[in-house]
Amino acid sequence: MNEFRATVAIVRRHVDRRFGIDWAMQFGLVVAIAYVFAPTLANPLFALGIASTLAAASAAERTHADSLRRVTFFAMPLYGRQLARAHAVVPVLLALAIPAGYGLGAVVRTHNFPPALLGMMFGAALVATLVSLSATFRDGIRAWLYVILAATAGLLVSLPYALFADRGLGLSLALALLIGFIALRAFGETLARYDPLPTT
Amino acid sequence: MKILRIADASFARDGIELIVPFSLTLEAGQEAEIAQPTPLGASIAARICAAIVRPTRGTVFVGEYQTRLQPPQAKRLVGFVDAGGFVGDAHAVRCEVAFRADVWNLDKTLAQRRASGVLAELGDGPYARAIALALVADVALVVLDQPASPFVAAVRRLVPRAAIAQTLVAGLAARPATPALATAR
Repeated sequence: MNEFRATVAIVRRHVDRRFGIDWAMQFGLVVAIAYVFAPTLANPLFALGIASTLAAASAAERTHADSLRRVTFFAMPLYGRQLARAHAVVPVLLALAIPAGYGLGAVVRTHNFPPALLGMMFGAALVATLVSLSATFRDGIRAWLYVILAATAGLLVSLPYALFADRGLGLSLALALLIGFIALRAFGETLARYDPLPTT
Repeated sequence: MKILRIADASFARDGIELIVPFSLTLEAGQEAEIAQPTPLGASIAARICAAIVRPTRGTVFVGEYQTRLQPPQAKRLVGFVDAGGFVGDAHAVRCEVAFRADVWNLDKTLAQRRASGVLAELGDGPYARAIALALVADVALVVLDQPASPFVAAVRRLVPRAAIAQTLVAGLAARPATPALATAR
């Protein structure tokens, strides 16, 4: 089994025209949000909250969830963790639109956006996305709870940066990597335990 | 050589049994029908045979691999054909074959040739396309979930040494069947 080849194939399957449209829409929306609010809400927690919440909501989106639940993926000779890594690539790429868009909107409006905040927004969006992926294999209130948990986790890993500015950045990014890794393993476990039942 | 060994497999969700428990042993070249009272039960039984769904009770071995412990190794031996077949045009089939060749780490040209050969044998149609996709890799077990027409003989011609398990809805079975009848021929 060539895991890399399988991963690339699954990623390519997820990268379709809809992915491009979603990325552009998400990017445009966040540019607009940043353009309107960046001057008045200068506290970094606002930007980090936007990144975490939108990334969590985006990764758990229902159409995306349904596409991940297709039986084809579960008939493939892959472990849950291998499938999780392959499924995570595209949502993470999609989440990158949020800090990129916010950074652009803020720079255009205020001509001032700290690169450290941009880096931290990437970290928060990554954590929120990876935690939120587990919501795609849950329904109802449990899915919503995962989305809330994901947004909270993204914000929590940002706290050292929000409290201590650049001195807390290293700790925040280290926390983001750690929580992101754990979240990806948990997503792999979710996939390994999931039974794709027929819908009819 | 035993290809499929199922011992008292059942599947429950929220305390409700969704299939009638069944047992089955299949060797290379053998065929079996698994009848369930509902289409949902038949599909779940097929997915249990294909190592896609884990039974809540009982054990399933595909080859020497227990599906609960070594699902990728077991799935590698199985060609699974879903009940709805593959809905897509010829281009979609080619894309899907290329995708499967990547995932199963097969030669793409060879995989396309195999799929074309199967379609030439079976004719076109959603279920025939799904069989062509299932047979892209070398499989020891073919699982047909509620085939619309009798495909077993055609699949047998294509893969003479494979074991074939076919699920049916009890009332719609081609021959008299009782719930959860699992028979090997």
